[in-house]
Amino acid sequence: MRQEVVLAMLAKEPSYGYELRARLREALGPLGDALNAGQVYVTLTRLEKAGLVTSTRAEGLPDRPDRRVYGLTPDGQQRVTRWLGEVSWPKPDLTEFHLKLIAAAAAGLADPLSIVDTQRRELLRRLRDAQRAAMAVPDGADAALLLEGIVLRLQADVRWLEACEKQWTDRRSRP
Amino acid sequence: MGRVLLVARLAVRDLRRRPGEAALLLLAIVGTTATLTLGLVLRGLTSDPYQSTREATAGPDVVAVGWPPSADPHAPGGRDPGTLARLEALTDAAGVVGHSGPFPVTAAVIEVRGRRVDAQAMGRDTVPAAVDQPELTRGGWVENGGVVFEAAFAEALGVDVGDAITVNGGSFRVVGVAVTAALAPYPQQTCLTSFCPSDPGGLVWVTRADAQRLATDDEPVMSVLNLKLDDPAAARRFVDTHLDRRFEPGGMSWQDILDHADRRLRHQRRALLIGSWLLAVLAVASVAVLVGGRMADQTRRVGLLKAVGGTPSLAAAVLLVEYAVVALLAAMAGVATGSLTAPLVTDPGAGLVGGMGVPAITASTIGLVTATALGVTVAATLVPAIRASRTSTVLALVDSARPPRRTPWLITLSARLPVPLLLGLRIAARRPRRIVLNTLSIFVTVSGIVAVLGAHINAGQLDLDRPGIERLNQVLLVITITLVALAAVNAIFITWATALDARHSTALARALGATPHEISAGLSTAQVPSALVGAILGIPGGLGLLAAVGAPNPPLWQLLVVVPGTVLTMAALTTIPARQGARRPVAETLQSELI
Amino acid sequence: MSDIADTSTSVLRTRGLCKRYGQGESLVRAVDDVDLDVAAGETVAVMGPSGCGKSTLLHLLGGLDRPSDGEVWLGERRIDQSGEKALARMRRTAVGFVFQAFHLMDELTAVENVELPALLARRSPRAARHRATELLEQVGLADRAGFLPAALSGGQRQRVAVARALSNDPLVVFADEPTGNLDSAATLEVLRLFESLHEAGQTLVVVTHDSRIAATADRLISMRDGAFVDETRLTGGTLRQLGSLAGFEG
Repeated sequence: MRQEVVLAMLAKEPSYGYELRARLREALGPLGDALNAGQVYVTLTRLEKAGLVTSTRAEGLPDRPDRRVYGLTPDGQQRVTRWLGEVSWPKPDLTEFHLKLIAAAAAGLADPLSIVDTQRRELLRRLRDAQRAAMAVPDGADAALLLEGIVLRLQADVRWLEACEKQWTDRRSRP
Repeated sequence: MGRVLLVARLAVRDLRRRPGEAALLLLAIVGTTATLTLGLVLRGLTSDPYQSTREATAGPDVVAVGWPPSADPHAPGGRDPGTLARLEALTDAAGVVGHSGPFPVTAAVIEVRGRRVDAQAMGRDTVPAAVDQPELTRGGWVENGGVVFEAAFAEALGVDVGDAITVNGGSFRVVGVAVTAALAPYPQQTCLTSFCPSDPGGLVWVTRADAQRLATDDEPVMSVLNLKLDDPAAARRFVDTHLDRRFEPGGMSWQDILDHADRRLRHQRRALLIGSWLLAVLAVASVAVLVGGRMADQTRRVGLLKAVGGTPSLAAAVLLVEYAVVALLAAMAGVATGSLTAPLVTDPGAGLVGGMGVPAITASTIGLVTATALGVTVAATLVPAIRASRTSTVLALVDSARPPRRTPWLITLSARLPVPLLLGLRIAARRPRRIVLNTLSIFVTVSGIVAVLGAHINAGQLDLDRPGIERLNQVLLVITITLVALAAVNAIFITWATALDARHSTALARALGATPHEISAGLSTAQVPSALVGAILGIPGGLGLLAAVGAPNPPLWQLLVVVPGTVLTMAALTTIPARQGARRPVAETLQSELI
Repeated sequence: MSDIADTSTSVLRTRGLCKRYGQGESLVRAVDDVDLDVAAGETVAVMGPSGCGKSTLLHLLGGLDRPSDGEVWLGERRIDQSGEKALARMRRTAVGFVFQAFHLMDELTAVENVELPALLARRSPRAARHRATELLEQVGLADRAGFLPAALSGGQRQRVAVARALSNDPLVVFADEPTGNLDSAATLEVLRLFESLHEAGQTLVVVTHDSRIAATADRLISMRDGAFVDETRLTGGTLRQLGSLAGFEG
């Protein structure tokens, strides 16, 4: 997860470590369970070292990362603003798969079609799980939106795999 | 100029794409235009030849008949003073500028080629008279032992100059054939003799001497006087003032004679004109149905035209031009048909100068017929054309042409009915306008049929001779057949259009479990309510028509048969298009985009 | 061919199903020698690209079209040879259809649409209306019963169509691209509905090229050029794997 995400969560006001984590988990829904607790605090420490975040010890509370109060520095604020304005999109790893198929066919190592089939089956499985997760979440919740995004991208990937299948089948049937 | 060409091109191309529909449209209007043409053509058919005859023969303005005094005390009136004296005094009456006669007229029985017919023999001078000198078409004028036949009479009997005949037992020879304006030609003769048979005989001329010789004892010889007035238009007034109407025949003005000559044609003409009005209404309904059936397509086309820059008026213009072209063709076809069939309707009329052989198609006739055809078309297409041009372009392109109407009470009611009625009523309710048109068309047809039934009875009561009655009945029959044919075409077409319009719903109904039989029964049933209402309304409609022309009502049993007869006929006619509609493959109609 | 299916409880069975169009050079095999067994309560999805014959297959299975060859058994009855009347009867008792274009009657309200198959099956109007109201509740549209289709969203319309398909308690519900005309949110609505039907034990045969639907099926059959080429039963992964898809390490 990018550091800027954690920064942004502090943009409104300073908050306790555990508050921060709770907010993240709520936003991620079922996927939030997979979020490693320690990861958040590691990120926070890195950010502090980079001078984008301040942390102070709360009064009367033990000195643990989740009980400290974190806030943004002016640099941190700037970074958040810049990040919000960026338009990059996470890049899918299609090139690797594409090259995999070509290499397999050229070297006679494996049947490209069966590679495609296996991958497709895997994606369909994940699609089903994402779908199930999406249905378990109430409709208006933020998490539902994230899950829908995952589902749609999986759907797009499956479509691409079907196109691969068609192309590689045609190539085979040509004399 | 460019726009006119564009409109013309679009209209013609559209017509070429749908020849079947253009043909139907044509047929629908031709029925109207043909009958209208016939009716109009018959209008001039008698009066023109009659005027020509009057001029050629110096026809009289007034024909007066008088009888001699009877000395027989046992006669019904006792010693009957007769009217002969008064007749002769007429020559000096005010307004009279010329006269001929009095001529004697006696009843005669003519035998020719084994046939015996009644006739009236008028005795004439061999020298030409100043008023009413019959014009010879063949042969020569009267001589002793010779008979001149009135032209129509001669044609009816098939006699010609030189034939030998017997008159009242005596042998005579036919010496000539002539036309006159003093009497209506055979068989419209007025009865001049004292004893009038139901079919007054044709007129023949003989010499005065022969006429006296032919007179029998039991029949007095009548006298006929021809008068010429200084004001021919005042002839009727003259007759009213001076002649005794109480006793047949008394006297006639030339207008009366014309009426007599025209009598048969008058009734036919009236029947044809009324028939053509009925057909016109029917034609409007048919055209409206046809146009309505294409409305979805038209709306979309209008939308397309508008989308590429045509104005709404352009789109409406194309529509109107298209149908106007068909209307013009129908007008031409109707005029042609009318003029070709006119001789069949009229008599082989040799009795007037010029005859009635070739009916005259005047410019006014053509103009009136064309105007009617265009009027019918415009009436039917104006509303859709305006609506199409007003539709928003986007809506039109999306082809949401006319969403079906929803009738909640009907939907609830139909749920309680058996499946065919359920389907039928719901299908019918989607397009109320079509129901109205169908009802209108049936109403007009049934009114026509009821009127024809009454007119048929009336024909028997009119003062026409048998051939005249037959001819009138033929005309009535033709009108009836045309009405029924048009209504039948309408019914079939409406069912077809309904099936087409409802194809999605019927396919869906079949997918949900309705059998094709239920669907076709439903499509047929959809037309029954309008047939029923139209038939029931048509009875007072037809009776109203009969009351307007003063004809009697047809018998009750005939009226009672009309309603169920119409409904059953409707059901039978709609079966085939309904079956067709129900057998379309379901999957095709409901096909989703991807296979 | 699946070796797991227990044909003794199969509600739908075909052997050697074929549908051919045209002749000679222009011969098209829309469906080519298909064998299928669907057990009671199963959800079967048939996937494939455009033109592979899946819609044609569905029409054959549901009795909307006559096969050129082969047998189709629905329940205990063989339907490929049946006449139009018998097929109609079958369609109103044993089968329900859901179409891509919804195919609701525009002039009828939601509840009137849903009660239509019951009326065609000659149930009393009151019973039909009662059942229709029940079904609309089941699909969550009880408050829209009096709405016309034009006033409903795409997802709602399809749900009405599903309710209609259930009207006569069919053996099988056939769905032809049910989400083809729906956006993502509406698709989810329909998916939820299908899931609840599945839980209630309804047998469902879906034809689709939308992998979202296919992924929820018990059995997923791939079709190409009129023939079945692959069959899968999907067993689950975990949420952990999804994390990577979401863009963070789990």
